[in-house]
Amino acid sequence: MSGSRSPEELARERMERIEKAVDLKEPNRIPLFVFTCGDLLRRYATGYQLYFDYDKAREASVRFASEFPVDSLGAVLAAEGFIFALAFSDYPDIAPSIRFWSDPMHDALLDKYTRWPGRELPEDSILQFIGGQFMDVDEYGKLSDDPVSFINQTILPRSCLNLEKPGSAKANASLIRLGVEASRFLKFLSDTAVDLARIGTPSLPLTFAYAPLDFIGDFLRYPTGALLDIRRYPDRVKQACEALVEPIVKVGLSLKPAGARYAFIPLHLNEYLSPKLYREFYWPTLRKVIETLYGQGIRSLVFFEGWHDAHLETILDLPRGWGIAYFEKTDVRKAKKILGGHTCVMGGIPPSLLLQETPDRIREYVKSLLEEVKPGGGFILAPGVADIPKETPSENLKALIEAVENYGRY
Amino acid sequence: MARMPLLTSSCKTFLSGFLPSLDELIEAFIELDEIRVLSLVEKLIVEVPPADILEACRRATVVIGERFEKGEYFLSELVYAGEIFRRIMDIVLPRLREEVKPVATIILGTVEGDIHDIGKNIFKAFAEAAGFKVIDLGVDTSPDRFVEAVRRYNSEIVGMSGLLTIAIESMRRVIEALKQAGLRDRVKVIIGGGRVDEYARRYTGADEWADNAMLGVRKCKQMLGLKICPDLDLLRS
Repeated sequence: MSGSRSPEELARERMERIEKAVDLKEPNRIPLFVFTCGDLLRRYATGYQLYFDYDKAREASVRFASEFPVDSLGAVLAAEGFIFALAFSDYPDIAPSIRFWSDPMHDALLDKYTRWPGRELPEDSILQFIGGQFMDVDEYGKLSDDPVSFINQTILPRSCLNLEKPGSAKANASLIRLGVEASRFLKFLSDTAVDLARIGTPSLPLTFAYAPLDFIGDFLRYPTGALLDIRRYPDRVKQACEALVEPIVKVGLSLKPAGARYAFIPLHLNEYLSPKLYREFYWPTLRKVIETLYGQGIRSLVFFEGWHDAHLETILDLPRGWGIAYFEKTDVRKAKKILGGHTCVMGGIPPSLLLQETPDRIREYVKSLLEEVKPGGGFILAPGVADIPKETPSENLKALIEAVENYGRY
Repeated sequence: MARMPLLTSSCKTFLSGFLPSLDELIEAFIELDEIRVLSLVEKLIVEVPPADILEACRRATVVIGERFEKGEYFLSELVYAGEIFRRIMDIVLPRLREEVKPVATIILGTVEGDIHDIGKNIFKAFAEAAGFKVIDLGVDTSPDRFVEAVRRYNSEIVGMSGLLTIAIESMRRVIEALKQAGLRDRVKVIIGGGRVDEYARRYTGADEWADNAMLGVRKCKQMLGLKICPDLDLLRS
């Protein structure tokens, strides 16, 4: 697959392949992108090592990319920690480095949002974000008035054991520890990107944003709490979502000077909502975030988790070429039909297909899928958002790569 | 369990001047009018047997489930319906003098290594509303705890929930443990969660799978050979 090209040439070619798809053009071949939160890499290291031992984690990413030459590997070996990025959104030098939490950062904060292998979970499992309810329904006003202060002063002391008493020696020490760990983590991320590039695997230059209603569901009111709030206190929720747009955009722009070109936005409550509720409570402020960033030259990589079928048409509200729509359970054939020529569609491979089927069946599946979605470009093949299980046979992953090579050429 | 009509016509006529009808409750519940549902239940509970109110709830949730499967209702409506049902139960349960005989018992839990419970809890609310007794083992449930609970409660169904892909492996291990304990043939097993599918069913060796709570409840009824919606025609009329 790599032929006689140098790793630099190979990495450039792969990146161009992805960017052409995002530009809604036909690259020389359908790009194959693989995303993991760790499960996939547990074939090389335990869960605990992946999140705690940066050298092992880096090695695991590189080993995967050498054994399975995909066009790009997105390994997020850390937990959802956007609330910290938002809390420090006025400090662009700090916000992005604490957007994800590694295990040592969890140790520094003792946050209640996440559970970790070798800590609260068995050593060889994967990290889990569970969130929680840390804001009372009567506090929506305070959130709307000044989200950043409210989160720093009220929410973080409730959601992180070590920050319980703001200004205490313990809290201050924890923040210093967090800073130390954050810079180690950033170094790990950039070292991994360099190592991957050395074997010809490019990494997407990412920054980060969030859907305002998800922010409320994930970090403040728990998803079910947010869903009940939109019934009982619709105006409060709307106001708070509006107020969150500005700090979220600030976080998104924080890595622009460092060359970030894609804002990673994972969606959570999208599949819970009816089209009516989605259009009323979720989409307007998410749309504002995506459009504002796009206006500043940052495209978005949105994980439309779960079923997004009922809301597909709303994506057409965005400017053409706004970014990448990564689907999990939504049929990418259908998405391509609706969004083709407007939005780059990504996804298409159910992880369970890779886990369960034979290499022949995988080749057949990829062949028939690509026949439909290939024409016109604007498509990136990827296992859909959910992780590829560790138990997935290597020959199946190889069959996937081979099938893209055989049937994905333009 | 009471059948339609819930109240005899003479009784209905007599009470109609004072009491709202159970049909009004069913309608308000289907439309997810929380405030109206609770005020109706507060009034009804004075005169109407609690079991009849539960039966009305069961009928309402059948229609809510139907709307979900038709794509008219979404998960947020199910979450809200589950919350409304919980609040009804808070009023009704303390007044329930005799136990309503459950349709069957389900041992339910999020499997080992996974601690997500939103889907499990929605399923639980709707399974209970459908007349199942649900033994909820919580999250991060080991295979041994599933086996122990099946023995203890002599349940008809084991329901395993999980969001993460690693949950699939845990589900397979539970079924393996049920086999080793000689219990596999005695229970029907259903796996549920946003990321389970037919592949996962085959891999784990479960009897059924569902990626949403309503489908899960329907499949539980199917597995036991129960009628899916016994009173639906009456409700539609």
